[in-house]
Amino acid sequence: MRKNYFKKAAALAGAAALAITAAGCAAQEEEATTPSAGETTAVVEELTIAFVMGAESDPFFQAMKLGAEEEAAAQGVTLIWQGDPSNYSPETQIPIVDAVLAQQPDGLVLIPTDPTALQASVAKAVAAGIAVANVDTRVGDLSDVLTFITGDNEDGGAKAAEAIANAIGYTDGETYEVVIGLTSATATTNVARKEGFESTIAANYPGISIVDVAYSESNPEKAATNVNNWLTKYPDLDGIFAIDGTNASGAAAALESKGLVGSVALVGYDAYPDNVAKIKAGIFTALIAQDPAAEARLAIQTLVAFLRDGTAPANAEVVIPNVTLDANTSDADLTKYTYVAN
Amino acid sequence: MTSSQQPNLRLERFKAVAGNQNSILLSVLIALAIIFTIAEPKFFSVATAGNILTDWGSIVLLAAGQTLVIISGGIDLSVGGTLAISGVTSAWMMSEILGFDITTSGSDAYPPLVIGGLTAVATGLIVGLVNAFLITKLRIVPFVATLSTMGATLGFAIIISNGMPIGGPNDFSLISPINPTWMPFSWAVIGVIVVVTMVGLFLHRSRFGLHTYAIGSNSFAARAAGINVERHLTKVYALAGALAGLAGFYVYLRLGAGSPSSGVMRELDAIAAVVIGGASLMGGVGRMIGTVIGALILFTVQSGLIMAGVAPDWKKVVVAILIAAAVAAQTLRRENRTR
Repeated sequence: MRKNYFKKAAALAGAAALAITAAGCAAQEEEATTPSAGETTAVVEELTIAFVMGAESDPFFQAMKLGAEEEAAAQGVTLIWQGDPSNYSPETQIPIVDAVLAQQPDGLVLIPTDPTALQASVAKAVAAGIAVANVDTRVGDLSDVLTFITGDNEDGGAKAAEAIANAIGYTDGETYEVVIGLTSATATTNVARKEGFESTIAANYPGISIVDVAYSESNPEKAATNVNNWLTKYPDLDGIFAIDGTNASGAAAALESKGLVGSVALVGYDAYPDNVAKIKAGIFTALIAQDPAAEARLAIQTLVAFLRDGTAPANAEVVIPNVTLDANTSDADLTKYTYVAN
Repeated sequence: MTSSQQPNLRLERFKAVAGNQNSILLSVLIALAIIFTIAEPKFFSVATAGNILTDWGSIVLLAAGQTLVIISGGIDLSVGGTLAISGVTSAWMMSEILGFDITTSGSDAYPPLVIGGLTAVATGLIVGLVNAFLITKLRIVPFVATLSTMGATLGFAIIISNGMPIGGPNDFSLISPINPTWMPFSWAVIGVIVVVTMVGLFLHRSRFGLHTYAIGSNSFAARAAGINVERHLTKVYALAGALAGLAGFYVYLRLGAGSPSSGVMRELDAIAAVVIGGASLMGGVGRMIGTVIGALILFTVQSGLIMAGVAPDWKKVVVAILIAAAVAAQTLRRENRTR
């Protein structure tokens, strides 16, 4: 009985392996023939742009994907969208970039997960005649990169500080307590937002003290735990800056379950549909939103203009500002900035 | 019985009580509470108890199922993923299929919540049955089988939700302490206690439990004794899956949303609770009460460190020390017994 199962399983596995190999070969052949066929006709019109992002599971990249797909369709270019399903790390990203470069795209939009580790991949792409753009994050040396388009995280943090000060009715001479919910100590976006927040508080709102920080490790339940404990420890807490979508979800839930909606100011980040709905419900005082789809669209536009007409972008670095969404934001704008996925 | 024997007897009794895993665990729990109260007096409060119990609710459900699996000699790495996907399917059912959004609150939310809860448990049950199939039919070792379902469940949770939390109807009063001044238990936590008690009785007072221990101690002997090991393990993994599904629903109630990232690494918290509680990863050893207190210790440490203002990274170190100490204590006691 046991042996039979083994045989069956082995046979199944073998068949599956064969099928995968066959499919892989077929796909490779197809890819290999497409560019050579293009050579004889018009190379310029058959553009392929590869887009290697950070982690598929992040809503930020989901929203970015939608922008990239729209723009690719509008420009009539083929889009190769790739990236690790859930790990935001150079270890998983470098092999993906290598695999994508082997497909010989005309342009590469890269979201480097590490400024140094991905530098060699950029050099490799440029050496192969592939134009490279960076979006969201950048490699350390931008000399090989056609354009770098990013949302300004430090500016987002500063906007959050303004929103909190507004919400608590900041007056000089008074003292206020706020906390920051982070995902980890090292995530670059977290660090930049926190710096922007802290420097704005220090410069404009000396009465506000940041009494604590904690990490959610990308888990909204842990974010809720952090806020629950803070509310016990600091009964006079005035405001919470939830630095990303996960912290925003957890902090909102904690305030709701403690019945403190409205009495503690909550400024979140990332316009997940669920979070945007909670602006209308009054749970979020404000939500800072980025525009990942716009970043992706601009990157593809810039690459296509360069590849088709040789037009270099006017500015090598483009910063797309964050927006503050709150109860006064129009429905049209709320819809515009909400992260939507396919 | 002469009077000269009395002190010896007392000493023996003291040794028996002190050597009992549960009294060790309770002492650790009390010691932690004292230390944290000294560090931050506000720690000793009903509010903190409420915070700890709220955290405990989801993990103890995962850990209760994990206790059964570990006693049976297996391991279930997929419970965190199952928690995530169950929360997501539950939210998806309520918002996408039934059409309720976050504006449905209070008792209006009960009808969709019942359906959502059933969806979550059914989802967990399906994952549990897939685990059982991989383990008993395809003969994949539990570690590898559940490692693959862990990946699959986390992946599907992202696919269904597009990586974003799905908001839906909720009544947050179910998850908040019944009375903030004297009653730290919420209705959801009371529900969890009832479920875990039932699973505990099932483990310790039924033939099902006896067979679970027998298989974990020696599956060949269990088979020889006429236990249908495959069928029994199917039940164990199915139950663990259903409990993880229920945990997913608990987290939904807590967040008012099904979040695909809510399960990441939670299987390790569950395994930590079981191991601190005295179960052996070799199988055949473990008590539900140990798991319950083990989970309580984990979240007392978590809340205590936040309240005391200790850098969050220390939590991992403290939990690591607790796990090592628990396993070492177990091994030492076993050696004492065999000596």
